[in-house]
Parts: sequence; structure tokens; C-alpha cells
Amino acid sequence: MSAPTGGNAATTPRLRPDERVPSRIVLALQGVTKSYPNGKVALKGVDLTIPDGDFVFLVGPSGAGKSTVIKLLIREEVPTKGSVLLDGRDLAKIKKREVPKIRRKIGVVFQDFKLLPNKTVRDNIGFALEVTGARRSAIEPAVDRALKIVGLTGHADHLPGQLSGGEQQRTAIARALVHNPRLFIADEPTGNLDPVISWEIIQLLLRINEMGVTVLMATHNAEVVTAVRKRVVALEEGRIVRDELGAAYHRED
Amino acid sequence: MFAFVGFSLRRGWQGFWRHKLTSLAATATMVLMLVLLSGLVILLNGLDATLNYVQQEVQVVAYLRDSAGTQDVSRLEAALQEMPAVQDVKYVSKDQAYSDFLARHPEDADVIRSLPSNPLPASLQINLRDPNQYLEVATYLRADNAVDRVLNIQQTVDQMVSVIGILRSGGIVVLLVVLFIIMNTIRIAVVSRADEIEIMRLVGASDAFIRWPFVIEGAIVGLLGALLTIGLLLAAQSPVNDFLKGYFTVFPITGELIVRNIALLVLGTGLGIGVLGSYLSVRSCLSR
Repeated sequence: MSAPTGGNAATTPRLRPDERVPSRIVLALQGVTKSYPNGKVALKGVDLTIPDGDFVFLVGPSGAGKSTVIKLLIREEVPTKGSVLLDGRDLAKIKKREVPKIRRKIGVVFQDFKLLPNKTVRDNIGFALEVTGARRSAIEPAVDRALKIVGLTGHADHLPGQLSGGEQQRTAIARALVHNPRLFIADEPTGNLDPVISWEIIQLLLRINEMGVTVLMATHNAEVVTAVRKRVVALEEGRIVRDELGAAYHRED
Repeated sequence: MFAFVGFSLRRGWQGFWRHKLTSLAATATMVLMLVLLSGLVILLNGLDATLNYVQQEVQVVAYLRDSAGTQDVSRLEAALQEMPAVQDVKYVSKDQAYSDFLARHPEDADVIRSLPSNPLPASLQINLRDPNQYLEVATYLRADNAVDRVLNIQQTVDQMVSVIGILRSGGIVVLLVVLFIIMNTIRIAVVSRADEIEIMRLVGASDAFIRWPFVIEGAIVGLLGALLTIGLLLAAQSPVNDFLKGYFTVFPITGELIVRNIALLVLGTGLGIGVLGSYLSVRSCLSR
């Protein structure tokens, strides 16, 4: 398994210092099959285990089932067969009103950022805490910390429309971090960004991983995947066709 | 809990003002519906009151010519009482008619007193055992020289009953249509913010935290709509009263009770629809 800590771990603040049990499983898919009401079978008997602190690239062509995996993880969908375990809990069996609590353990960012255009960077990030019932006095320090991690402290009072694409994605990342998530999911986070900016976003995700957060990133970006040499899980037509440590985007034979 | 209530009120209030256009559209439709509703209630109340008033009176009135003498009156009374259809007959003299009129329309006393002579005719007021036998009685009376004109009150009553029926069912249909429009306006206002709801769900907001600000926003729309409607009604009250007075001879909405009841009805309906509309709209966004 890939090591959760890099060389500069000692200088990087950890978000969850108490949860460094190396072999703990954050996430497990066990024999997951997912078919949609329209008859399309998106996943066929997928098994996947992600230990605490891992950094995983989920790759594969469009329609391979990457988005479905992510929907299952944030419990937007439940599997037709098999189970999805987050911290050992079967997501299909939790009560409906517990779903929001599960989502607070997971930070998600998407290709399209999903920011509220009429709120400042600070308010977009604080929104995640505000709507989950955080005390108002707790919001500002948490937002400041998230801003610092993504390097947007100087842009706190800008509106999303005044930011570059990279800055917007960093705002979304800060919002996803503000709950101190256990698992960070990035769905094509660099899909709308140019290569230089994409690289900055990857560096940021790697740094978040070094802080002790498990990261799962679905991507098409072969260059980045190959350069970073992390764990690569490849999906094709709903099946895992490859699961390698320190791998490239494409199979290297 | 306290934080939750504060959050919902704050966000509901912000939501209303940050989306002025949709909020005002919803409020305007709300006012339209509430004005229609109260207008219908007032009108039906007025018609019902008029109907009750008319029904207490006799069913057939025969106005006598001024030339008719006492012997004509007693002849007619005797003949009518012979008829099986007639329950009772009452004679109202010209003097009696004059003082009845003064009692009923004291504000017109000056006008009628200024006339050189009493213009009101004497009449026979007849109650029937069976209103359907009106024609027989009326034909007999019309053939008599002493009789000037025969009024069938029952016919007026029947016409009123059918008018009230049409108004009531037509009004209910119109109200349902407007209700549908309001619900739709509120729904559009909520669905136009589906992004916001999606983000709230993604960051782990519970359903209550998503729902209540919208419900509060709906309540603000309902409350504002109701207050505007009550303002409009109060402004329109005296001209409308004058119109009704002239038209129906009885005037139902001057009573404080009915003003209070209408105000309560408007407030309750506005709040209820605002809250329910938002609740249902958000629920459809949450149940995905």
C-alpha cells in the first residue's frame, strides 16, 4: 500500500492527527453491481479497498463507471448488489437522516466547481459550515484555515466571477476541506483547467493527502497520473481492469 | 435548536430579498388570489344575506291601483283566502307602505318627504302553500281591475339561488386555477435555486436545514401578500359598501365581525399556501 506520508509530513499540519492507524480501511466496495432503471449496467461486481491515507487515481474512458463509483461513495445512489462501506458502515443500510452526517466526512469537488456566484469566496466556504449547523463563532477560524491551505487568503472577499478557473477550483477544495473530511473525492477536478493550473491543483491534492486525508481522484489527465506515480485503479465497462501502485495512466508492459 | 431557528429565519429573509423578482412575482400572484378569494366571500355573503332577507318576506305581492277602494280589498282578500294554494293574505295600506319605507331607508326620508303626495301603492302580500302554484294566483290577480302589478318574489329568489350557485362553483374553479398558478410560481422560485440545494446536500446539510429557510421564505410571501390584500380591501371598503348598498339594499361588509373574519381568512390562506407551496416544492428537490 502506498505510504500516506511524504517527506515533508513533519512540517505539514495534520488534519486528523489521532487517526493514523496505517492499515485502517476507509473505504471498501464489495462485489458492487449497479444497474440504472433504464437498464444500463454501470458497474459489474467491483471490489475495491482503500486504506486510510491512500491517494488513488480512478481512471478509465467516459462511461466506464467512474461517476457511478463517486455517486455510490457520496450515497447519491445505492448499489443494486454488493455493499459500499465507509469506515466499516454499509452506506445502503444507514438511515436517511444519517446521510448528511456521512457526507460531512467526505469532501467532494467537481469539474464545474459548483460555487454560488453571488457569495464571496469566504462565504462560499463558510456556507458548508453554516448549513450544517455550525456555531457562527466557529465558522471564521475554520474558513481562515481552509483559505490558508488552498492559498486564497488574499482573495477571500472576491466573488467567484472575479477568479480564474484554478482559483475557483481551489475555493471549491477549501469548501470541501472545511469539515475536516476523512475522504476527499475529486471528480475530474482539472477537466476545465489548463495544464499549468491543473498541475497546481494536483500539488494541492497531494498536500491535502500529506495532511492525512485519503484522496480519490477520478480523472482523464494521463500526464498528471503518470507523473505522480500513485495508486491507479482503471475501470473499463464497469469492471476494474487494473489496480497498480506507483503506476502510469496507461498500462506499462 | 435556537441556532437552527435563527439560521432558518435569517436565510429565509435573505432568500426573499436576494431573489426579489421571483419573490415579488409570487407575492403578486398571492395578492391576486387573496383579492379574488375575499371578493368571492364578500359577494356570496352579501347575496346570502339578501336572500335570507327576501325569503322572510312574502312570496307574491300584488300592488293595487290607487283607485281601489276598501270593498275591492275585502273582495280580493276573500277570494284569495278561498283558493287552496294560498296560505295567508296581508293588506298593506299606502300609509303603512310609507312608514315601512321610511323605517328601511331613513337616509332617503328627506327625498320622500319632499314629494307632494305618497307615491307608494297599497298592496296585498300573499304567502303560498306551494310556490309552484304561483301562476294560478298571479293570473287571477292580473285579471282584476283593482290590481296594478303582480310581483313574484319566489321567482327572484329562484334566480338568486341559481346566480349564487353559479358564482360559487365558478369562483371555486377560478380560485383553484389561481392556487395552481401560485404553487407553480413558488415552485419555480425554489427550483431556480436547485444549485444551491444541490450544494447544500453535497456538503452534508440535513433536510431540515435545507427546507426551513425556504418554508420561512414562503411564509414571508404569504404574509406580505395577505397584508397587501388587507390593505387593498380596507381602501376599497367604503366605495364597495356604497355600491352594495345601492345594489342589494342590504349591506353585509360594514359589520366589524365580517371585516375581522375576512382579515383572518386572508392571513390564514396566504400563510398556509406560502408555507405549503414551499414545503412541497423543496420536498420534490430533496427526494431525488
